[in-house]
Amino acid sequence: MNIEEQIREIVARITRVDKSLITRESTFKDIKADSLDIVQALVAVEETFGIEIPDEDAQKFRNFGDFVSYVEERVAQKEKV
Amino acid sequence: MAHDNKHKIRIAVDAMGGDYAPGEIVKGAVMASQKGDVEIFLVGAVPLLEKELAKHELTSRSSIHIVEANEVVREGESPATAVRNKPNSSIAVAARLVKTKEADALVSAGATGATAVSAILFMGMLDGIYRPAIVGSLGSFAPNTVIVDFGANMDCKPHQFLDFAIVGSVYAKKFLNIIEPKIALLNTGSEEGKGNEAVRQAYHLLKSSGLNFVGNIEGNEILSGKANVIVCDGFVGNILLKFYESIADYALRWTKKRLRRHPPLLSLVTLLFHRLFPATEIASETNEGGGGLLWGVNGIARIAHGASRATNIVQAIESAKKAVRMNVVETLKLELAKYQPRGRS
Repeated sequence: MNIEEQIREIVARITRVDKSLITRESTFKDIKADSLDIVQALVAVEETFGIEIPDEDAQKFRNFGDFVSYVEERVAQKEKV
Repeated sequence: MAHDNKHKIRIAVDAMGGDYAPGEIVKGAVMASQKGDVEIFLVGAVPLLEKELAKHELTSRSSIHIVEANEVVREGESPATAVRNKPNSSIAVAARLVKTKEADALVSAGATGATAVSAILFMGMLDGIYRPAIVGSLGSFAPNTVIVDFGANMDCKPHQFLDFAIVGSVYAKKFLNIIEPKIALLNTGSEEGKGNEAVRQAYHLLKSSGLNFVGNIEGNEILSGKANVIVCDGFVGNILLKFYESIADYALRWTKKRLRRHPPLLSLVTLLFHRLFPATEIASETNEGGGGLLWGVNGIARIAHGASRATNIVQAIESAKKAVRMNVVETLKLELAKYQPRGRS
């Protein structure tokens, strides 16, 4: 499973939204995620990929696609090191 | 200070949480430790806790340790971001002690939201449960009726009402010995289309859940015994809880005013009222002294009232011990497994 699918699974499990409804354009508001859903998703993604996502970075995510791209980038950076 | 800790229940106490922290929390922990069946981890600022502990005489039965946590989540902070941004807050450190199995239960009189978030993030949720809830039965007036949620979830999604029904059902079966609990949705009318959007959607989820759902119930039927489990969001549940608990006091005040010209009768009625007062106290296997257990997290997290004094902390520690002994988390897991295949989205 690629990074995007893994993150989609995590977000779907936490928010209880059908994963087919989570597209790269979906915002957290679209999937009715509240602040705790978002924090849980961030923590779960951090644990899954062994990265840290500072709040100031997370606040810049406009949609699910931004979230995925950020994680992909951080994972690639981690693999280089 | 150390004693035979082999069979003691280990409680992580958020010593910095609560209106009277850390003084009353430490005092309560010391009092609770005198029984000798508990090992307490006081979590918070070391110098402050040492100073408070020094005010008390510890017996050979007491087993109390201080665990350092240099930050505090304050009332009014956003719980989700505060817990994440303050990993060394007393509540986060205390919850992690349960996660790492260094403690069996967590007790906190701090902000309810922060305690719930810490429990969710560090202990995790049981499979199938979205958010924890507070459960309690209505005591003498309706001893076989349980309300869920009493205040852990202010804004609820429709599927949370289903979680509450399952948790309440487990509670009614396990602690009230009701074989097939009748579940109702608290609403403004008995008809199917009543209520706000979340409640209307919840109605349909409950109807198709496979649970023994008997429909909507109105406020005037809460005490009727028609339902064993009444589900509502924490906003409504918390208002209901506080109103219910205030009734006896106001009724007594009103009666005193009416009978002030009839002292003998007033004395008799006052005596009667004091005997009847517990009728409006919320009863629970685990919520003596205000607050309650967070049902649905994968560990024992006991919320104490924010205005807890030492005696309330003792009660909270006692009820956390009871929850550990009763193995409530494993019981809920087993029951949840039975419901998973039925009616879940």
